[in-house]
Amino acid sequence: MSPEELGGFVCGRIDGAISEVTFGQVTIDVPPERWLEAATLVRDDEAVAGGFFDWLSAYDGGAGPDSDAGLAVVLHVWSHRHRHHLRLRTHVPRDGGRLPTLTGLWPGANWHERETFEMFGVVFDGHPNLVPLLLPDGFEGHPLRKEFVLASRVAKPWPGAKEPGESDHDTRAASPGRRRMLPPGVPDPAEWGPEAGT
Amino acid sequence: MGVTPARRGPIDLQLGAGAGRQGLGVGSQVAPAPMRFVLNWGRRYSLWVFNFGLACCAIEFIATSMARHDFIRLGVIPFAPGPRQADLMVVSGTVTDKMAPAVKRLYEQMPEPKYVISFGSCSNCGGPYWDSYCVTKGVDQIIPVDVYVPGCPPRPEALLHGILRLQEKIGQESLADRYRAPARHIRSITAESVQAPLVPPPGARDVS
Repeated sequence: MSPEELGGFVCGRIDGAISEVTFGQVTIDVPPERWLEAATLVRDDEAVAGGFFDWLSAYDGGAGPDSDAGLAVVLHVWSHRHRHHLRLRTHVPRDGGRLPTLTGLWPGANWHERETFEMFGVVFDGHPNLVPLLLPDGFEGHPLRKEFVLASRVAKPWPGAKEPGESDHDTRAASPGRRRMLPPGVPDPAEWGPEAGT
Repeated sequence: MGVTPARRGPIDLQLGAGAGRQGLGVGSQVAPAPMRFVLNWGRRYSLWVFNFGLACCAIEFIATSMARHDFIRLGVIPFAPGPRQADLMVVSGTVTDKMAPAVKRLYEQMPEPKYVISFGSCSNCGGPYWDSYCVTKGVDQIIPVDVYVPGCPPRPEALLHGILRLQEKIGQESLADRYRAPARHIRSITAESVQAPLVPPPGARDVS
């Protein structure tokens, strides 16, 4: 089956599913309440036969001032028999997002769901051991969410030089009109932290 | 190449009651310089290395131990059976907050005298992961470091140079001064810190 046919095949059997083909690969968006049903279909159906659990994680769609894309949980499966690849995706709200676990279908989803749980805060109902996997004990927050503040630079500036004029070896003066570089996810110390507003 | 300067000070001959407990005794303090030279010479050319390879810098460490660069000719013997048989710990790679307790625990299991080389930007100061939520900003926050080797990753020649600088430092040091110095927090080793329990496996957390 071509990616378009594959998407149409799954969408015909799952209510509310939408398929999309990008870069030759099909992505099927399903409602969260159909998540387990869709995963069971792509694993067990003879035409799809996506029995190989490849990967499961999430991404943060970001939140604007008046809209919130929430979190998207993505499942990659691969069919050894038909040699095609398929992505299932569902969107859950940022606060209190819940999904049924897929460990009943693929035991290997265990650690993937634990990592998704600790990094994004998505709760997987029915998971046998939903405790943090990688983060140190006592870590607070979900570090792969976009609202997670990377605060190291507020406590102590990065010791390297990245702008003209910052290095000891650079005699040129810093240009006043130049916009300062900021790494993504790192707040400006003038706007966040103990020196905010100064 | 940053080398933490060796502690230098006037020789203190007011040896208190505690001086004999260090196992070196008065003799090493007042030993003539040729004897100290011989003792240090023996120590500096027999460095069993415990390689804490945590990231790509460990590949450079391995390259240094292989035939082309071959730090065995400097008396550095790689791949000690464990920390209890090692003299030198080379921390090469990214130390994360989750890994830091293991680094400290294995360092404390090494017998004295022991030395640490911090190899690469990550273990020096956190390197490119300065903004990360999980990377320790330098291994010197948890254990004392003797020599810092900069680079990302440093070339094997840089490690060779760092080893030479460490050997110079060992050649100039006085073990009696080293053990009397109260500032080195390595002396505050307790039995609990050396025998700290391992991280329990998943599922066993409730039992412990």
